[in-house]
Amino acid sequence: MWQTAALDPRTKLILVLTFSSLAVFIKNVYILFILLVVTLVAVRAIGGDLWSIFRKLQRFITIFVAIIVIQSIFTAHGHVILQIAQIRLLTDIGLLRGVQTILRFFIVIAAAVIMTTANPRDIIQGLIQWKIPYELAFMVTIAIRFLPLLQEEAKDTLTALQLRGVNLKKIPIFKRLKTYSYLLMPLLVSVLMKSRDLSVAMEMRAFRAFPQRTSLRELHFRRADYYVMLLSILFFLMLLFTAIKIS
Amino acid sequence: MISFQDVSFRYPRSKWLFKQLNLEIKQNLITFIAGPNGGGKTTLGKLMAGILKPEVGTVLVNGLNTKDVELAEIGAKVGYLFQEPERQIFAATVRDEIGFVLELHEIKQAEITAKVDAVLKQFQLEHLANLSPLKLSRGEKQRLAIAAIMVNQPRFFILDEPTTGLDQERKEILSSVIERLQDEGIGMVIISHDQYFMQRHAQQIITVVGGEIVDVANCST
Ligand SMILES: Nc1ncnc2c1ncn2[C@@H]1O[C@H](COP(=O)(O)OP(=O)(O)OP(=O)(O)O)[C@@H](O)[C@H]1O
Ligand SMILES: [Mg+2]
Repeated sequence: MWQTAALDPRTKLILVLTFSSLAVFIKNVYILFILLVVTLVAVRAIGGDLWSIFRKLQRFITIFVAIIVIQSIFTAHGHVILQIAQIRLLTDIGLLRGVQTILRFFIVIAAAVIMTTANPRDIIQGLIQWKIPYELAFMVTIAIRFLPLLQEEAKDTLTALQLRGVNLKKIPIFKRLKTYSYLLMPLLVSVLMKSRDLSVAMEMRAFRAFPQRTSLRELHFRRADYYVMLLSILFFLMLLFTAIKIS
Repeated sequence: MISFQDVSFRYPRSKWLFKQLNLEIKQNLITFIAGPNGGGKTTLGKLMAGILKPEVGTVLVNGLNTKDVELAEIGAKVGYLFQEPERQIFAATVRDEIGFVLELHEIKQAEITAKVDAVLKQFQLEHLANLSPLKLSRGEKQRLAIAAIMVNQPRFFILDEPTTGLDQERKEILSSVIERLQDEGIGMVIISHDQYFMQRHAQQIITVVGGEIVDVANCST
């Protein structure tokens, strides 16, 4: 393999866009499956962590099962696979739609993992070189940087609330919404405080002091970048074409 | 009250922090946990409260295995004060902060009011009752956090570095709060480096360095 670790962040962005937009367009389960395999191979080749994808998916398992059942119950046609009393719990069409959704989820999450292999500083630089305003590019990376932190904090806050003797499972449904609003409070506060600190720190370092910014580091596409981009565009067109032809 | 039996623990993707730890914390004592930064004090406290679960071995709180019970169940018996008070402030007013857990549990309004009033008075927060908790000073926030835990009437308290950021006067107030809790028969684990504070309250000192308990000392006060 060529030196994939050194792929330009812009190339990675194009890959992510290719995979996730295909996942949205394509309906055919078989083509989706092929797309998934290709995405996983790409993640592997770029050095992404495949296990992290599975770990993320685990959390959605109940939702997936729910999707399959709901699709089965509310889609009138299709062969029944499992039926309890008058309720069609599992039909082939429900199953198909469910699998479709799962595959799409899988692909989008896997594609997102590609981005985590890029250095955030390089992502900003890449966006700037695409003539995206610096402020905007900066906001995007801040968001990427702070989301995992926020997730940690949300977990801690939930722990703190439970330690106060609140058992979410035992709170009556109509009060549960109120409980969630209590969870939101410390999170909001922390986000606001962080952004205030951050803006002060940025002012101190003269963010936007001059209209024109130059950077020491410039990104350059290498030959591998052109190959990967060309491949991904070809792949995009090919899959789209096949999908249109089949339907 | 809290006992560790051959407890081993590590954070995900890290090396073992505690190995084969055995420890006994008594209900009626004030136990201090001391040691250098990164020694594992906070981790030990979180294991005690069931916030973290041991990978090997068991932690028993009042005879209950922390692996088997819901956090809320432990929370009803053990109060835990986080190192950062902001983490555990949930409501829009001081009064609501103390009362909202009771409200979620469908206790009668009159009873809630009475309980909240009593706690507000006990912790000298009456004049702040209708303020937003975010407007309080650090010391007041911390007192509020303790007060809010107290409405649950826990029998045991774990305080993580309660004196950081407090001036001498606030420390004095905290000391009197601790003494009051002690008079009510509430046991405590206090994580702290504060020498003065330790000398004043400690009945037992556990020193943790690099995940090892290097010393358990009994002191008389
Ligand atoms: N969430 C975590 N994930 C991985 N490692 C952690 C995590 N939290 C703490 N550690 C590590 O565990 C060790 C013990 O940390 P701990 O917070 O228990 O120390 P401490 O004695 O409370 O320190 P301090 O005096 O600074 O509060 C440290 O080496 C720390 O880097
Ligand atoms: Mg600590």
